Amino acid sequence: MEQKPIIDIRDVIKTYRVGSVDVQALRGVDLVIMPGELCCIIGRSGSGKSTLLNMLAGLEPATSGQIIINNQHLERMTESELIVFRQKNVGFIFQSFNLMPYYTALENVAFPLSFRGVPNAQRLKRAKEALRVMGLSDHMRHKPSQMSGGQQQRVGIARALVTDPEIIFADEPTGNLDSNTSDEVMHAICDTMRANGKTLIMVTHDPNMAAFADKVINLLDGRITDIQCNARAKIG
Amino acid sequence: MKAGDLLRIALLNLWRRKLRAFLTVLGMVIGTSSIVVMVSLGIGIRQATVESYASYGSLTNISVNSWRWVDNGDGSGTSTEKKLNKKSVEAFKKIPGVKVVMPVITTWGMLKSGKYVSDASIMGIDAALAEEFGIELGEGRYPGYKRGSSNYEIALSQDTLNWFRDPKTGKEARDKDGNPKVTLGSRFQLTFDYNSIYNNQPARVNEGFPTDDEPPQGQLYRVSAVGMTEPNTGDFSWYCLMDIDALKKLAAENKAFVSLDTDNYQSVIVKCENTDVVAQVKAAIDEMGFGTNSLQDMLEQAEKQLQQIQLLLGAIGGVSLLVAAIGIMNTMMMSIYERTREIGIIKVLGCRMHNIAGLFLCEAAYIGLFGGALGILVSYGLSLVINLFIGSSGFKSVIPPYLVLGALAFSVMVALFSGLYPALRAMRLSPLTAIRSE
Ligand SMILES: Nc1ncnc2c1ncn2[C@@H]1O[C@H](COP(=O)(O)OP(=O)(O)O)[C@@H](O)[C@H]1O
Ligand SMILES: [Mg+2]
Repeated sequence: MEQKPIIDIRDVIKTYRVGSVDVQALRGVDLVIMPGELCCIIGRSGSGKSTLLNMLAGLEPATSGQIIINNQHLERMTESELIVFRQKNVGFIFQSFNLMPYYTALENVAFPLSFRGVPNAQRLKRAKEALRVMGLSDHMRHKPSQMSGGQQQRVGIARALVTDPEIIFADEPTGNLDSNTSDEVMHAICDTMRANGKTLIMVTHDPNMAAFADKVINLLDGRITDIQCNARAKIG
Repeated sequence: MKAGDLLRIALLNLWRRKLRAFLTVLGMVIGTSSIVVMVSLGIGIRQATVESYASYGSLTNISVNSWRWVDNGDGSGTSTEKKLNKKSVEAFKKIPGVKVVMPVITTWGMLKSGKYVSDASIMGIDAALAEEFGIELGEGRYPGYKRGSSNYEIALSQDTLNWFRDPKTGKEARDKDGNPKVTLGSRFQLTFDYNSIYNNQPARVNEGFPTDDEPPQGQLYRVSAVGMTEPNTGDFSWYCLMDIDALKKLAAENKAFVSLDTDNYQSVIVKCENTDVVAQVKAAIDEMGFGTNSLQDMLEQAEKQLQQIQLLLGAIGGVSLLVAAIGIMNTMMMSIYERTREIGIIKVLGCRMHNIAGLFLCEAAYIGLFGGALGILVSYGLSLVINLFIGSSGFKSVIPPYLVLGALAFSVMVALFSGLYPALRAMRLSPLTAIRSE
């Protein structure tokens, strides 16, 4: 049974203009990702990982090329259309967590639902469930400043999942964590994504982390040099 | 995003920066209260003017006389006369907007009570219409008259009653405690013969007309005082009142002493249905060739001058509101710079563009609302203080309900307007700022 790719990009080029100099962040990238795949983008600093991720998430326009996500052409969308697209399809996990410091864990997780017009009672119910899945049932009333980095990032994961998106993007989600916590958070991310059948696109500069993924995309100077597929993907 | 969530989150955002929000609101309080107090002074001064005009007489009355001044446009002019009579009264009644019409005749007479005498301006009225025309009684009732009878009634004015004195000595009619000896209950006689009442008769005899054609002596009529006019209540309060037909009859019998044209009226008062139609009724009467006068006319002149004062007062208040508006804009811009990252995050989390603008506009509106509401409270206090300590009959502060609502709406609008640019800026911020590590 042939499945349609959830992400399909063709010859994507991104050029930044810094003063009078053109910086080529992406020099023609083609990539196809199937639904439910956990992908990891690795590469040196400055190789264009974040640029690629942001483009896939519709946060930044490409200079040229085609970006088709979930059968929609992002390159043809206006900014408001992109926001609606993100509302429906995309969850985001940040490197620096980006939780609202004055909200409790529960409120933080419920927050994205308020932008979607979900009634308050239902927001709280779904947020509680997402936090429970992340093992944070005892920390729902805590402010971010009262939680460890690993706990904060798990709140971040719950927040990305609560809207039930197709694809979740994560840019170095463990970049701000020590190695023990990193492993723990990485497990948390990959396990929940797999359990929920989500597609995950994750950027990391740590090659060890790539072991968690089905597909590892190597990026160098704005080009994909290699794509490895791990055995697990075939099973899953 | 639900409107309730939008309002709640915007309020929370303000609350998180309490001090700054408070200071911005304070600016708005000062702005709103200064404009409200200034406008209230304008309203108060205008109201005082209207009241003072209204105390001269009714603002819906037009007084018509038979002389019309036609201006040639070069400073010169001519007067033309058109008689006022029963026919003209009927014509006035037919003008749209006219409520009632009352002809007026006035004359001069002397009242005698015992040995005391007082002078009286007497106006002939129609008892049925008197109240309508603002002729107020302090006590008693309006004088009436049964056609043909010799039973005359009069309502005295305070001035006339106070003026009673002995014509020989000039002493006032008061006992040693200063209480008046002549009161409403006294017996009165009315005459129009000035000479005989003040005992100047001999002088005329001495002039030497050696005829038996003695100058006639004016008759003394018994009148009963049935009421007293209310002093200081308008055009007519210094007049004693008699029924118009009774007065006409007396005038006809005393042609030797009073020259009153009993076929025509000296003036006619036209009462309009409301102040809005006064100008058009007046124009219609002018058209017929009569001379007209109305307080409304003079009031409009005065109001034109007041408008400039009001404008000036409003402008003074407006400046502080402008400063407050700039304060709001500044606060909002500051908070956008501080919240660049936060705005980026909520954009990534799926907050729509118009909701972001809405959040900032809501914050601005809250500042306007709180500032406006507090400003109105402060204005009430200031207005009270002004009226207590520096107010006078012509200078006072009045805050009508429409000013309260207007000020509230205005301050919210000003705040929204100040928040417009910051809101647009926030809306256009790139979500990428949130992703890029700091
Ligand atoms: N907004 C920007 N303006 C100019 N140059 C940029 C911008 N963002 C990224 N770049 C450049 O593009 C290249 C790729 O950056 P990035 O995607 O952030 O790399 P990575 O995430 O792999 O470290 C780098 O050379 C970087 O300097
Ligand atoms: Mg990066």
